[in-house]
Amino acid sequence: LRLVTAAARRAPRNFALGRRGYAEAADKINLSLVLPHQAIFTSADVVQVNLAAATGDMGILANHAPTIEPLRPGVVEVIEAGNQSKKWFVSGGFATVHPNNKLTINAVEAAPLEAFSAEAVRANLQEALRVAAGNGPEEDKVEARIEADVYEALQHALAK
Amino acid sequence: MLARRTLGRIASQPKALGAAPTTARNMATLREIELRLKSVRNIEKITKSMKMIASTKMNKAQRAMQAGKEYGLANSELFQHAPAEEAGKRTLFIVVSSDKGLCGGIHSSVTKATRRAFAEKDKVAEDSPVMVIGDKSKAQLSRLLPKNLVMSFNQIGRDIPTFADAAGVADLILTSGVQYDKIAIVYNKFVSAISYEAAIIEVESEAMLKESPGFKAYEMEDDVTKDLSEFSLANAIYAALVEAHACEQSARRNAMDNASKNAGDMINRLTLQYNRGRQAAITNELVDIITGASAL
Repeated sequence: LRLVTAAARRAPRNFALGRRGYAEAADKINLSLVLPHQAIFTSADVVQVNLAAATGDMGILANHAPTIEPLRPGVVEVIEAGNQSKKWFVSGGFATVHPNNKLTINAVEAAPLEAFSAEAVRANLQEALRVAAGNGPEEDKVEARIEADVYEALQHALAK
Repeated sequence: MLARRTLGRIASQPKALGAAPTTARNMATLREIELRLKSVRNIEKITKSMKMIASTKMNKAQRAMQAGKEYGLANSELFQHAPAEEAGKRTLFIVVSSDKGLCGGIHSSVTKATRRAFAEKDKVAEDSPVMVIGDKSKAQLSRLLPKNLVMSFNQIGRDIPTFADAAGVADLILTSGVQYDKIAIVYNKFVSAISYEAAIIEVESEAMLKESPGFKAYEMEDDVTKDLSEFSLANAIYAALVEAHACEQSARRNAMDNASKNAGDMINRLTLQYNRGRQAAITNELVDIITGASAL
C-alpha cells in the first residue's frame, strides 16, 4: 500500500520522465547520508534513493512529499546520475524528506555490502541466537534478539 | 667552581667579617637561581611534550569533528523546517565541557555562556534545570547556579567521543524524568585552530515538535515523534561533544605552546641572571685577592 500511494504521488513525475532530456538537472533530490563518524553524502544531487523503512521498502525520487521514516536494519541504495547505483547496509536511523527537496538520512552505522563477510555474519548470528535462547539476564537476551535481527537482515541483503 | 670558592674563602679570611657574607650571599643566590633554572627547564620539557600530544590529538579530533558537524547539520534540518510556535521558558541546559584542565578558557567559556543565557529572563525560566558534562564546569556552575544543577556526567571526552557516549547521555537525560519545554546544548564551537567561541544548539522536545505547524506537514506512517525526538537529541549531543572535544585539544595545544614560550623566556632571563651573578662573584673574589695582595 505504501509503495502504491508513493507511486501515485509520483505519477505526474513519471509522465515527465518519458520526456526527460534537458530537464534532468531538476529531477534530482539533494541527499545527505551521514553517519556519526563519516559523511557518505553531503548535499549531493542524486536521482533516486531506495530505503529499508520500518514500514516497508520505499523509493524516494525528486520532490517527494515531506516524510519522516524510521529505518530498519537493511540496505539503502543510492542511484546517482548515469545509472550508477551504490548500496550500503544500514544499522538503523531516520530518513527525512524535507519540503525543499532535501533528503537527510541520519544512520548510526553503515557499510558497503562488499565489506561484510558472510562467514562472519553466520558465525555471529549463531552466537546471538544462542545467547537469546539462553539463561542469561533479560537485558542480554533482548540485546541478543536485536543483534540476531540485524544479522538476519544482513544475511538476507548479502544473499540477494 | 669549587676551587674558586675555596680560593675566595682563603683570600677573604684576613679581611673583616663583612667580606665572607657578600660571597656567601652571592653563592646562596647563585644556588637558588640554579635550582630555579633546573625546575623551569623541567617544566618546559613537560609543556613541550603536552603540546606535542595535544597537537596530534587535535588533528584526529578535527577530522572526527568534520564528520560530526555534517551529522549535526543533517539532524538540525528538521528543526529549521519545523520551528516551535511559542517556545516554553523552562529550558534544559546541557553544558558540554570536560574533566581535564590546562586547556585555557574552555570551561569558563561555556559557564559564562550559560550565565548569559540565564540572564535573559524573558526567554529562560529561573528554575530551568542544568546538566553538566565534565567535572571542571560542574565545579564552576555549582558555585554559580547551585539550585539549578540537576545531573552531571564525567569520564566523557578522554578520547574522541563516540555516538555510544552521546546515546548514553541522552538515555540518562530522558529517563531522569526532568521536565522541560526545550533543550539548549551549550558547547564550544570550533572557529579556527587558535580560536573558539561558545555556542548553543537548540533541540525541540517531543511536545514542541508535535505542536509545530511545520512539523505537521511531514507524513508519518505510525507516530514516531517520540523516537525521532530522542534520536535527534542524541545526534545533537554527539555533534556538540565532538566539536567541543576538538576545541579542547586545540585550546590545550595553544595553552601549552604559550607556556613553553614563557618557560623559554624565563630560562633565558634566569640564565643571564645566573651568569651575571657568577661573573660578579668571580669579580668580587678577584678584587679581594688583588686588594689583599696589594695590602701585603
